[in-house]
Amino acid sequence: MTPDSPIKLVSELLDLPLLDSEGKYCGIVDDVEFSGDAGKILELKALLVGPGAYERRLPGWAFWLVRKIAGDRLTRVPMDRVRTIGAVVKLECAGRDLGLHRDETRVGKWIPRKGAL
Amino acid sequence: MNPLELTLGIMTAVGGFVDISELVFAAKAGSTFGYALIWVFAVGTIGIVVFSEMSGRVAIAAKQPVFNLMRHRLGIKLGLLTLVASVISNLITCAAEVGGVALILNYLTGAPYLPMAAAMTVVMIVSIWVLPFEWIERVYGLLGLVMLVFAAALVAIHPPWDKIAGGFVPHIPAGLSTKELLTFAYFSVAILSAVMFPYEVYFYSSGGIEEGWAPKDMLKNRITSIVGMGLGSLLAIAILANSAQLFGPVNVDPEIPGTAAMQAAIPFGKWGLILALLGMFFAVSGAAVETCMANAYSIAQFFGWMWGRHKKPWEAPRFTLTWIVLFALALLIVLSGVDVMTLVEFAILFSILVLPLTYLPLLLLAGDKKYMREHVNGPLAKALGWLYFAIITAAALAALPLYFLTSGGNG
Repeated sequence: MTPDSPIKLVSELLDLPLLDSEGKYCGIVDDVEFSGDAGKILELKALLVGPGAYERRLPGWAFWLVRKIAGDRLTRVPMDRVRTIGAVVKLECAGRDLGLHRDETRVGKWIPRKGAL
Repeated sequence: MNPLELTLGIMTAVGGFVDISELVFAAKAGSTFGYALIWVFAVGTIGIVVFSEMSGRVAIAAKQPVFNLMRHRLGIKLGLLTLVASVISNLITCAAEVGGVALILNYLTGAPYLPMAAAMTVVMIVSIWVLPFEWIERVYGLLGLVMLVFAAALVAIHPPWDKIAGGFVPHIPAGLSTKELLTFAYFSVAILSAVMFPYEVYFYSSGGIEEGWAPKDMLKNRITSIVGMGLGSLLAIAILANSAQLFGPVNVDPEIPGTAAMQAAIPFGKWGLILALLGMFFAVSGAAVETCMANAYSIAQFFGWMWGRHKKPWEAPRFTLTWIVLFALALLIVLSGVDVMTLVEFAILFSILVLPLTYLPLLLLAGDKKYMREHVNGPLAKALGWLYFAIITAAALAALPLYFLTSGGNG
């Protein structure tokens, strides 16, 4: 399936893992963003990734808890950066180019780079 | 096929079937009800073979492990609930295993329990850090095979094989009082839960991805799940049968894991006891590693982080930090002084409550042609899958009432 194909958004796109062009996991499709307006054609504009997107999907108390633990960061992935949609969403570029590896990089600074076979 | 390729199934099964909870429950089941509960192990074994094979097939066909796709099928609310429930269940189980390892080391060396728990946690963290995934499964899986001493002990004590064979036929022993019937039902539910612990499936499917399974490995997946789980089941049934033969007639209640080790001491003397304790040590250590890694896999896959021990620890930093923190939390629970056997009971009870939530999405995924294409569930896998889903749902509903009615199986 390509980004231009008609898709059943909720059942086929939401909550799928994202894999970048280097084969690295870089989050989950937490929400989607549309362009268009009433009476106009509705088009998928971007995928939203990060705990900030949970606000519209979780009860208030649960989102409060998520925000306390993980913050409310939100990253937009424009649809023109999406290559295919299947069991995962594959991107055409590296996740770091879209700011999707910030947390991974930050935590990585705390992990010693030695000792593993 | 290289026999070493079976180590994923062996580690999964040894860690799942002869972990600290099984060492206690299988031995207690044998001493309390003789051979009458063997069929529950057999039923549970078929169930875990069905679901582990399915999870391996999903990992191969969709190239994604179970938890990566679970959230997609369940949605964020139910997915988050499943994640939280299984993380709590796995953490309690991991703490029980860490406590169990320390207890066994205490039997073996006489060293104090709590410092042993701390030292072993460090050793297990270092082993995961240093060893690549294949070596983790080889070290813990193959060393866990020392547990075969329990099967050898069973042969050596010349048990009534006809009664053991009769135990495989589903039945309820005649002449039980209502109280005993409820205890029998509680043991059945607890054994089913302990055999089908969800962490086994998380670990197995993630392990398949770690090993880079491809469609050519479908047969390997089938053989690994059948041989691995079959071997684990054999060991658990040997412990039960030894207990029925040796402990039941003299009213010994094997409430602590050390009692189970005596099963090998009776026919083989001191070396039998040492081998049994070593086997238990490696099997329970493997279970601790398996539960901790299964938990870290679940969390990382649910949030779409980089994960896996086929990568260097610094290449999947959040995953690495997660399994280290989970081991530290498990150790903290042990250091709080809570009794290991209490932890075992809670782990089993909590895990059975989450079983249906774990296996439903797997069943839906494996039956979805869009992901699975030609590897979609066939009629047999579909029928067995839904049958076992009905069984574990009934068991989950019955677990809490039975726990309270029988005071946790103590009558």
